[in-house]
Amino acid sequence: MILIWKDKKEKAEILQSRVPVTYAVDFEVPDDVKEGYITTDGKNLTYRIRLSAFEKIKKTSKYDIEKKKTDLKGVLHISEVKKANIPLSRFEIDSKGKAFSGFAITEEAKLDPEMKAVQKTVMDSSARKIIDDYSPRVKIPYELAAKLAKLKEDLPKKEFDSLMEKVQKELDKRFIDPYEAVGIIAAQSIGEPGTQMTMRTFHFAGVREMNVTLGLPRLIEIVDARRTPSTPSMEIHLKTKFAKSQQSVMNIIKKLENTTINDVADIITDTAELSVTVRPVPARMKERLVDFSDIEAALGKATQMSVVKDEEKNELTVKPQQETFKRLYQIQEQLKTMSIKGVPGIKRAIGRIDEKSGEWLIFTQGSNLRGVLDIEEIDAYNTTTNDITEIAEILGIEAARNAIFKESLNTLQEQGLEVDMRHLMLVADMMTFTGSVRAVGRQGISGRKSSVLARAAFEITTKHLLRAGLMGEIDTLTGVAENIIVGQPVTLGTGSVNLVYKGVTRKE
Amino acid sequence: MTTGISKRISSIQFALLSPDEIRKMSQIKVITADTYDDDGYPIERGLMDLHMGVIEPGLKCATCFGKVDECPGHFGHIELAMPVVHVGFIKEIKTFLESTCSSCGRIKLTQDQIDKYRKRMEGFDFASSDPENLALVSKRITDEATMRKICPHCNAPQKAVILDKPTTFREEGIKVTPKEIRERLERIPDSDLIFFGMNSKVARPEWMVLTVLPVPPINVRPSITLETGERSEDDLTHKLVDIIRISQRLRESRDNGSPQLIIEDLWDLLQFHVTTYFDNQTAGIPPARHRSGRPLKTLVQRLKGKDGRFRSNLSGKRVNFSARTVISPEPFLSVNEVGVPERAARELTVPVIVTPFNIDSIREIVKIGPEARDEFGRYRAGANYIIRPDGRRIKVTTQNAEENSKRIEVGWTVERQLMEGDIVLFNRQPSLHRMSMMAHTVRIMQGQTFRFNLAVCTPYNADFDGDEMNLHVIQKEEARAEARIIMKVQEQIMSPRFGGPIIGGIHDHITSMFLLTHNNPTFTEDETMHMLSYVEPVRQPDFKVENGHKLFSGREIFSSILPEGLNLKYKSKLCSGAKEKCEYEERAEDIYVTIENGRMLTGTIDETSLGPFSGIIIDKIYRSFGSDEAYKFIDRMTRLAVGFISMRGFSTGITDYDIPKLAVERIKEIGLDAEQRIDQLIKVYKEGLLEPLPGRSVEETLEIEILRITGEARDGSGNVASQYLGMTNPSVIMARSGARAKMLNIAEVAGMVGQQSVRGGRINRGYTGRTLPHFKRGDIGAAARGFVISSYKSGLNPVEYFMHSIGGREGLVDIAVRTSRSGYMQRRLINAFEDLKVDDERKVQDTVGSIIQFTYGEDGVDPTRSDSGESLDLDYILYNLNRGGK
Repeated sequence: MILIWKDKKEKAEILQSRVPVTYAVDFEVPDDVKEGYITTDGKNLTYRIRLSAFEKIKKTSKYDIEKKKTDLKGVLHISEVKKANIPLSRFEIDSKGKAFSGFAITEEAKLDPEMKAVQKTVMDSSARKIIDDYSPRVKIPYELAAKLAKLKEDLPKKEFDSLMEKVQKELDKRFIDPYEAVGIIAAQSIGEPGTQMTMRTFHFAGVREMNVTLGLPRLIEIVDARRTPSTPSMEIHLKTKFAKSQQSVMNIIKKLENTTINDVADIITDTAELSVTVRPVPARMKERLVDFSDIEAALGKATQMSVVKDEEKNELTVKPQQETFKRLYQIQEQLKTMSIKGVPGIKRAIGRIDEKSGEWLIFTQGSNLRGVLDIEEIDAYNTTTNDITEIAEILGIEAARNAIFKESLNTLQEQGLEVDMRHLMLVADMMTFTGSVRAVGRQGISGRKSSVLARAAFEITTKHLLRAGLMGEIDTLTGVAENIIVGQPVTLGTGSVNLVYKGVTRKE
Repeated sequence: MTTGISKRISSIQFALLSPDEIRKMSQIKVITADTYDDDGYPIERGLMDLHMGVIEPGLKCATCFGKVDECPGHFGHIELAMPVVHVGFIKEIKTFLESTCSSCGRIKLTQDQIDKYRKRMEGFDFASSDPENLALVSKRITDEATMRKICPHCNAPQKAVILDKPTTFREEGIKVTPKEIRERLERIPDSDLIFFGMNSKVARPEWMVLTVLPVPPINVRPSITLETGERSEDDLTHKLVDIIRISQRLRESRDNGSPQLIIEDLWDLLQFHVTTYFDNQTAGIPPARHRSGRPLKTLVQRLKGKDGRFRSNLSGKRVNFSARTVISPEPFLSVNEVGVPERAARELTVPVIVTPFNIDSIREIVKIGPEARDEFGRYRAGANYIIRPDGRRIKVTTQNAEENSKRIEVGWTVERQLMEGDIVLFNRQPSLHRMSMMAHTVRIMQGQTFRFNLAVCTPYNADFDGDEMNLHVIQKEEARAEARIIMKVQEQIMSPRFGGPIIGGIHDHITSMFLLTHNNPTFTEDETMHMLSYVEPVRQPDFKVENGHKLFSGREIFSSILPEGLNLKYKSKLCSGAKEKCEYEERAEDIYVTIENGRMLTGTIDETSLGPFSGIIIDKIYRSFGSDEAYKFIDRMTRLAVGFISMRGFSTGITDYDIPKLAVERIKEIGLDAEQRIDQLIKVYKEGLLEPLPGRSVEETLEIEILRITGEARDGSGNVASQYLGMTNPSVIMARSGARAKMLNIAEVAGMVGQQSVRGGRINRGYTGRTLPHFKRGDIGAAARGFVISSYKSGLNPVEYFMHSIGGREGLVDIAVRTSRSGYMQRRLINAFEDLKVDDERKVQDTVGSIIQFTYGEDGVDPTRSDSGESLDLDYILYNLNRGGK
């Protein structure tokens, strides 16, 4: 059982600074609840707390701070407050559900059976056994071991043994040589086919504004680790129960698409009357799956203006409370960008049936991973975006590493170019191993090399040399570029081994 | 030779030069701005003083007494009349002035802050820490100090320092002279330097204000004597002349007690000259120019950029013992060989150390002279130079050859001309991957070009339309051994990019092997003998006797070059090129290639079997039998291919695309029909009746529909044409076997060229409302938007031709843009990844020792040795095991 309640950010910060602390609250908590979360925005659980005890409030109760002035029901003894960042959608909140405002006691969402299979992280035990059986002599790669495990069942023992004999022998020859310059090989293997790639962006999935950058520009974008891709887009998977019917998919799309009033209605400003008229266009509304009441509702939330509804014409007239032209202009601009519904950043979304699984997928133009993950119908485990920085921020560096790998692999494959995955893995690992996404280039990896000479030889020569003088930097000549500059053998491949023939002294 | 270990530089430390050190390393104080006197002799204490080195033959260095090539050059120095700031350190000087007290020189931080931050900064090790991080932390600290208006140490009020770019500092509008700056910087204690990221062991802040200027050795700035006898000085010398002149005038004015205004002007001028001496592209300063108006190339310009010292001379070096010429094909060479023209071979040499074991043969080589030929007039390798143990080189000429051969003793070195069997490196730019530079063995040949087997065109990406390639002769035994073991063409058959062969048959090789095996034709004994005379087959082909004649089947002939013990079964791509239903779909005999124990039983050999990138047979031979067998197979295959195809004869021409009149009319109909349908669509669109596709505008829907119709038309015409172009047609044979071109290209030649496009859409640019003046404004019909009904064979009408050129131009522009973009990407990638290596435990590490991957590629398998990425082709092993069982 987990306790969740909504609180002000300031209160939470005070709690965190004063731990351990007693806190008077306006609700009661069962005894067995030892863990809780505070949400400050109603979307994410921002603080995780640990409870040591709960007591019902009495007149004599002592506590450090209180949640409200009135209606206090109990005192929480809080032993730990930690920052957290978990989307609220991870929890199934009962009864009150979405109307969640005060507090709730709930269980952490178990892996929803509706949620499609999470990528297998646990190794198959029979494959594991194969690996163990033959290590440390040969380390059998997992995927191969899985295949072998299957064969083990089908083949008679004698045959399997002779197979394994052969497999070990073959595999032994295939491992990479020590000191191999794998970095250069990877860079060449990715760079060389670059000349064969196209430069175009493609229209996608039959929608006007929906382009996807592909080919060389996309590859450069990935390698550059740009803040935002030139065409951000998402591939949204749905929980199985929502992924079957077009109707439910359409509903989700409606939730997703960020629609402004300007998208579905004409905004007409009348300077004589000092009013702005919103005239919905039925065709555009239909396209965007919006109805009149949605617009009304959006306008209803606005402040400092009065809205008059014209039932006959199906129009809404907005008048500023302050009757100035400046205010009128502001309202006009405000209405243009006023969001009716949807997730910010998602400009367009369309549903498509995935040919492989036969389920509906939603593709979007624009990306907002955090916002989309909050939507309940979404299969959070399989939903992705092509914005690598966003993935790094929300899901962490390992996810970003995988995103770099997959995006670059897809880009190359889509162009029909065969490049070994290992090269792309190395690029992804190199870009992320420090814990943040680093670009390939002078702003990232190359600019952070340890050698002065290597940096000077790449770009911005003088800056690096002058700074080296101030700092008294020492170049230890361990890399490739430095050694070439001073005219020494490089330290890769055969250059990293010292082999001296001592000679034989013959006894006469 | 007793040593095999060469010394290594272990590290290089960077530092700032102090004035004292500059004086100490200087051999002479330069005081005269002149260079040479009237006789052309260097003026003493001038910029070309002999103490700084010599560049003229005959003269000796006054410092080391070395002659031209012996003296490395020595520094001199100039004493500046007044101090000036160093442009490269302007930002740093500003930080120092801002964050230290102008009167006591301490950093404007309280003692508490100093203690706190000191700990933080001491965590950095100057020699090895990331300078970027250090700069970041230091910036935060100095920013804090800058904020303080009153010095916490001496309570002196502080004024804000403003940098008036590029080199002037002001305090409340009043100029702070470099002299004052220097005095302030001198006051900063060593212990405070750490906060600025300055290493007090190697640098002092006041050294960033120059009082003494080092004068680089003459070797660094040689003067050139023109043909007219006129001397032309180096840009640096020019600049130094300026500096000395102004410095002298400044000194005189100061000593004479000239007005302050004049002194200041001169001082500024000196600052300008020193600034441009360092960097002639400083923002805010007009670049110093040569008399001709060309901006001078001063110190920074020498180092910077693509043509700078670093990228041009240090990262890339010119080499000797290399040759470059045009390439041409030679099918009778092995893939491992390269044909070298005699002329090149005479120039290129290999040094041979004379030992008791080879002295006789070396003497012979020297004796026959540098122009040796055998009794048939064929090339023989002679020697060009003899090098004595003291390093003296003796040129061998035809005259002195005999005499020199007698002088040779053990321990001497002889530079021998290239001979057959020598190993050389062969390279074609752009060197995009490691297969762009491979080792070949030399074959000396007649003619003026380098020649090689056509199978190696793919890794070099070479063709013979005028391409040139480079050849490098390896000079050391160690390097030769490495080249032989690692770089030989046969070792590079497998590409590390995708784990498949990158070397294989091309064009006619594939056509030939296709014709040899397709439908398994039979050949007479004579024909077979002729073909096999090109090759050294592994075994004799079997035959069957019919009517008393020996008949050899094509597959059997092909089998004779396959290594014994090869077993394979796969599907060839025969059908993939065909449209709609393939006539071979049902004929397993043609489609499935079966090879058992080196005998080809069924199937058709095509690109899938032999081509680069796909070549299954080459792939499996390489893996099962090793690189030796693989290269031998490629050699045999290319020779057999040439043998067969030159016997059979194979050519293509415009008549290949002749189709009956009926078909031509049918194609025309298809074209006209498409035009009509497009007109119809446009009519519907103009009436506003076109139903838009979901999520699209009406215009887009129209375009999509039109594109669909034009596509259909082209395909339709292609189908009509291909009905009359069967497997006997050479072009079709080439397309279906994968040798060259696609069926689509044939459709374009015989059928219809189809819609031309720009950026994926119809052509839609030119004049307002129309593409060409031939059309009415607003005409969006087929012809007006680049639909080409004609075929290449029938010829294009002028409008079609124009539209076709538009489409073609887009392709050209695309390629031009792409090459530069992808080139830069690759440079960045290489630069970022060049230092990574696998260690003995298959971890991937960088130079600092950070671990990038714990197991390379997650499984430790070398992509070169993988089966298209798979660690092991289990199916193939099973297939072989099962076969063994039967």
